[in-house]
Amino acid sequence: MSVDMAVDVGELNLRGPVVAASGTFGYGTEVPLLERRALGAIVSKGIFLRPRIGNPPPRIVETPSGMLNAIGLQGPGVEALIRDYCPQWAAWDFPVLVNINGESAVEYGELAARLDGVPGVAGFEINVSCPNVEQGGMYFGNDPRAAAEVTAAVRRRTRLPIWVKLTPMVSDIAVIARACESAGADGLSAVNTFVGMSIDLHTYRPRLAFRTGGLSGPAIRPMAVHLAHQAARAVRIPVIGVGGIVSADDALEFLVAGCSAVQVGTATFADPRAIARVHDGIAAHLEARGLSSLAELPRYLPRD
Amino acid sequence: MLELTAIVAEVRHPTAHYRVIGFHAPAIAEPVRAGQFVNVLLRPGPLLRRPFSVYSAVGGVVEIIYRPVGEGTALLADLKEGDRVSLLGPLGRPFEFDPDWDSVALVSGGLGVAPMLLAARDARDAGLRVTWVHGARTVTELSPESAGDRSVIATDDGSAGHHGSAVAAVPDGVGGVLACGPNRMLAAVAARWPDAQVAVETYMGCGTGVCLGCAVPLRAGGYDRACKEGPVYRAADVDWEALPSHLHYAAGA
Ligand SMILES: Cc1cc2nc3c(=O)[nH]c(=O)nc-3n(C[C@H](O)[C@H](O)[C@H](O)COP(=O)(O)O)c2cc1C
Ligand code: FES
Repeated sequence: MSVDMAVDVGELNLRGPVVAASGTFGYGTEVPLLERRALGAIVSKGIFLRPRIGNPPPRIVETPSGMLNAIGLQGPGVEALIRDYCPQWAAWDFPVLVNINGESAVEYGELAARLDGVPGVAGFEINVSCPNVEQGGMYFGNDPRAAAEVTAAVRRRTRLPIWVKLTPMVSDIAVIARACESAGADGLSAVNTFVGMSIDLHTYRPRLAFRTGGLSGPAIRPMAVHLAHQAARAVRIPVIGVGGIVSADDALEFLVAGCSAVQVGTATFADPRAIARVHDGIAAHLEARGLSSLAELPRYLPRD
Repeated sequence: MLELTAIVAEVRHPTAHYRVIGFHAPAIAEPVRAGQFVNVLLRPGPLLRRPFSVYSAVGGVVEIIYRPVGEGTALLADLKEGDRVSLLGPLGRPFEFDPDWDSVALVSGGLGVAPMLLAARDARDAGLRVTWVHGARTVTELSPESAGDRSVIATDDGSAGHHGSAVAAVPDGVGGVLACGPNRMLAAVAARWPDAQVAVETYMGCGTGVCLGCAVPLRAGGYDRACKEGPVYRAADVDWEALPSHLHYAAGA
């Protein structure tokens, strides 16, 4: 296909606009049938400085057109990440961003400093939007001062690109988006999961041991498109749209709504080739409309 | 591991309680070992795949056994010969056969029979005598098929075979023990034979190791993935207190 799918997200040049969403692609090494040619980038599973065991099961439950998860950021900690995964990433021909987490702004900064300069690490996605941890997580993401403080703490410790992953659980995402932009973010990923709950009528208890979880999948897509659009209108830095993308048309909605790139998450669970399918479908759409590059796609982005 | 489109080769209703469906999938049927599973995608259907132990693998046909209880299994029941589904598999770690054993007991409760036909095949290939032990709540819920040199049946209500659990019905003096069934039954297996191998059931998101949704709590602390390090575990390694015993789509298993 002759369509030019390359896209610049800030300083990162991606060969395509479709990125693997954090937590749905592991560390990029486990996914079967990975079609690397179509991967714009990978955002790795969220990591903390120290190992974390995560939440007790059940951790997931399927809901209409979606799923709730409360994984609780299980992970091996930064030293194991550097030892076991970064060397593999360094050999890949697409960027890997690390989704970083902390219980304080200082911890986020230390994590970025530890990973800065490690071969294989192309940038960071700051997770201030995880609904499944007791400390930190989403609580940084729904206060503009806290979100800015975390972003600034990371900015001080690295020159690598920084995306901030926004939570949808806010009354005005534009306020948070601007706060992160001012604090030095290079891009915004919009959005993380919505908080939800599901009750088991056999036990009369929540289905998830953590009680609540993050809702993802097609159920959230129209809300995610709207929030990504609101964020894109509020800032000059690129926005990466996330939430419920299954098909190329879903991804095109985010792109037209003002996003520079998109992330595919939950869809990968059912279809390990989802990212390649979405990538190829976007190219086919552009070609069918007589467009020779993604940059020519019309956008709907009235400025505030 | 492969992802492939498979054609429904056959649909069987061996008893009112169980259904068996076979998919033409030689590329999975050939390598699959007892305890491994396939992740089935139905379209139209639920968002996520549904994991099923491979029940048999003969002539290029991969069979699964199920009861139509949830959304996914109700749709399975609608499938007819010639329909197409996507299969991902074989997934997970299979049962292992210790060269020191001379015999093995295959202990199953209800739908836990799912991996046992293959286990009997693999055990015989390893030169072992097989004792088949199967239990259910009542006679009508017993598995339709059995395999092995010797067969023991148990029912909770005493309507057939031993009155009581399959675990209690296992004769003494068996070499290895392989078990599958409701998690509370597997906890009883762990108490009697710490070294038994058990195939556990959990919810799964991806089946391929990326989502961490299938957490199995370990006695040593922490969790690992039923779809990758499991679903077969050494019985004493699992923290049974912390493993949920009630999966709504497996109700009555
Ligand atoms: C099982 C699971 C684990 C996730 N883990 C993370 C994570 O570690 N860090 C993060 O920022 N987002 C995480 N997410 C959120 C996704 O990256 C994404 O924002 C969200 O699922 C919405 O996109 P989707 O509908 O395409 O899945 C996770 C989502 C799921 C389903
Ligand atoms: S089901 Fe996703 S990691 Fe096991």
